Amino acid sequence: MSQKTTTKTTYHIPVGPIHPALKEPVFFEFEIDGEKIVDVDVKLGHVHRGVEWASRKRNPIQILYLAERICGICSYCHPAAFTLGIEDAADIEVPERAEYLRVIQGELERIASHMLWAGVAAHEIGFDTVLFLTWEMREKIMDLTEFLCGNRVTKGIMTIGGIRRDITKDMIPQITKSLDYLKDNFEKIRHIFLDDKTVKLRSQGAGILTKDDALRLCAVGPTTRASAIKKDVRVDTSYFAYGDLDIDYITPDILTGEVNGDVYDRIIQRLLEIKQSIDLIEQCLDIMPNGDIVSEPNIPKLLNQLKKVEGEGVGRHEAPRGEVFHYVKLTGEDTPFTWKVRAPTYNNILPWIPMLKGEQIADIPIVAASTDPCMSCTNRVGIIKDGNRYELNKEELHRLSVEKTRRLMR
Amino acid sequence: MGFSILPKVFSQMFKKPWTNKFPDKYQPSNTTKYLKAVGDGEVKINPPIPTPPGFRGKIIYDKEKCIGCKLCIKVCPCEAIEYKEKDKKIRIYLSRCCFCSQCNDVCPTKCLKMGDEFLLADSDPYSKGLIVE
Amino acid sequence: MGNNKTVEELVKYFKDEFKTKIKSIDIKTRAAGSKKKETSTIWMKIDKTVFKDVIKHLVDYQYPHLPVVSGNDLGKNIELIYHFTVNYGERLKEINFHISVELPKSKPEIESICDLIPGALITEREKQEFLGVKIKGIPDDRKLFLPDDWPDKVYPWRRDETGPEKYYKNLHEVNKK
Repeated sequence: MSQKTTTKTTYHIPVGPIHPALKEPVFFEFEIDGEKIVDVDVKLGHVHRGVEWASRKRNPIQILYLAERICGICSYCHPAAFTLGIEDAADIEVPERAEYLRVIQGELERIASHMLWAGVAAHEIGFDTVLFLTWEMREKIMDLTEFLCGNRVTKGIMTIGGIRRDITKDMIPQITKSLDYLKDNFEKIRHIFLDDKTVKLRSQGAGILTKDDALRLCAVGPTTRASAIKKDVRVDTSYFAYGDLDIDYITPDILTGEVNGDVYDRIIQRLLEIKQSIDLIEQCLDIMPNGDIVSEPNIPKLLNQLKKVEGEGVGRHEAPRGEVFHYVKLTGEDTPFTWKVRAPTYNNILPWIPMLKGEQIADIPIVAASTDPCMSCTNRVGIIKDGNRYELNKEELHRLSVEKTRRLMR
Repeated sequence: MGFSILPKVFSQMFKKPWTNKFPDKYQPSNTTKYLKAVGDGEVKINPPIPTPPGFRGKIIYDKEKCIGCKLCIKVCPCEAIEYKEKDKKIRIYLSRCCFCSQCNDVCPTKCLKMGDEFLLADSDPYSKGLIVE
Repeated sequence: MGNNKTVEELVKYFKDEFKTKIKSIDIKTRAAGSKKKETSTIWMKIDKTVFKDVIKHLVDYQYPHLPVVSGNDLGKNIELIYHFTVNYGERLKEINFHISVELPKSKPEIESICDLIPGALITEREKQEFLGVKIKGIPDDRKLFLPDDWPDKVYPWRRDETGPEKYYKNLHEVNKK
């Protein structure tokens, strides 16, 4: 700002595509007046890999593994939604035991993802100790996943018409041991996050998403439930075995009695969902029936059966970040005609604009990370000031965020 | 401020860390010399934690049982398996394999199995250690 | 949320208003779990002249949730399918509602619904650049996922001569011995 007259102009700060606050490349352009944000513009497309195009020469079994590698953290929800879409188009019936096993795997993934998010959110505020504490607990869940599926991250456990590995009676003591460990330590995490004065000062009143905005912009997942809109695919529709279980919508007023739609409410929302997931897994282990785990174990026969199908199908699943939507169209060849993938973060991008207006620069990391965008971290911020280019790298922006915490503590 | 975490932080100071000291307690100052010393038998490395049963490591291929039906080639999502016309057997390129174990499930004679080995890094994707045949 | 309609009432609500302009309606139900609870889906094909009125009629009933708009290239026509879900908020009551519109390739234009449903902005921009559909009245016209120097008339989802086949490289064949 180099004018000596009384008119005030605003800066334009580009943030991204590579940025420490977000876990994936996204390009923001902020218009800043002093320290307050006046307007936001979002640009995407940096990790576009042409996954839907790659599906045009692969048969449905191969697409399952392609779908798994769309995202690293939500690597179970994409094959799950794709399988739901194919089973809808081809009218395949899934055995009952497989439905319960699918619920267990999905909820395990949700616990792991929310614990990772809790650590990242604490890191953005400046509490690195809490990052290591929550990730230590997450290691127990990763060990359990490796024991059940063969690998920590890309599980490879979904198949069309069922599931690939069973949970036998001798695996159950290990599962209950891990869940008991989590239940004992849940109170500790809750106390650290929700009763701490500094966390409250940083997060209450920041990044507010009103109920009206969340409804009009079609937000999904914990972001919209924290603004008191009751949308949850597991409760609204009956898929897998969720129709039999005792499940209800979770909104922050269960714990505090009122809903503001700010970052603090989103922290409460995700911690309550961890508790709900533990409860759902225990319900499943109690009432799971015996039986087959896959409807058609002979894979060439399954592929031939899918070759004759003509129709369209839609699969929706509640991933840890929101609603995953897949649309599949089969036309009687061995590869699908169309496959449309919609990850939950696409619907959560537009809500960033009302959330970030009126905030300060040091709040950008925690507000953007509170919607849990599913993207990978990046590293440099360029500020254009009086025509000179300064470059702030990852450490600088993080330092700004930590300094604000120190200021508040005094 | 962090009074709720202080007791846990203090108790951590007296606990043994979880970390398994693989391959050695401290990082070696020269990695190539270290690897050469291990190869000659001078230095012992700590073993990694044993993998759980059902872990998906390097593929083990039983050549006698293979009948050359090519079903594994049809389901491999990464195009990592190649057919050898003359012997009617297969060759697997581990540099493209994603360890999904779908070929194990589909094989009619059960000649493919997932082993335990996971330390497979190499600088050349087509080296001898990364081709199974 | 006390005045949610059932599937039959919803179908009747649309049939009464639009009579012949609806080309076909298909209702499917699917059961899951041990207790076999069901979820219903309505697939509706409409004529493109009444498209905006159908959406307004739906918004009058209840503000829907729009996950995404998907598209198919059917040779002579481009088919756009608008996926909606209504009746959220009560256990097991949600209805999936898919409205599909066909546009001829010679004139692929359709109106924007961003004034009724602001959350549709991102998915409409995606259809413009991937299928070559011109959306009239869209507030923001820029490319969304493709880079800025992508050539103009190439549409990645199409299967005809404007498809992206020339840009496709099989990288792993390059170095193989």
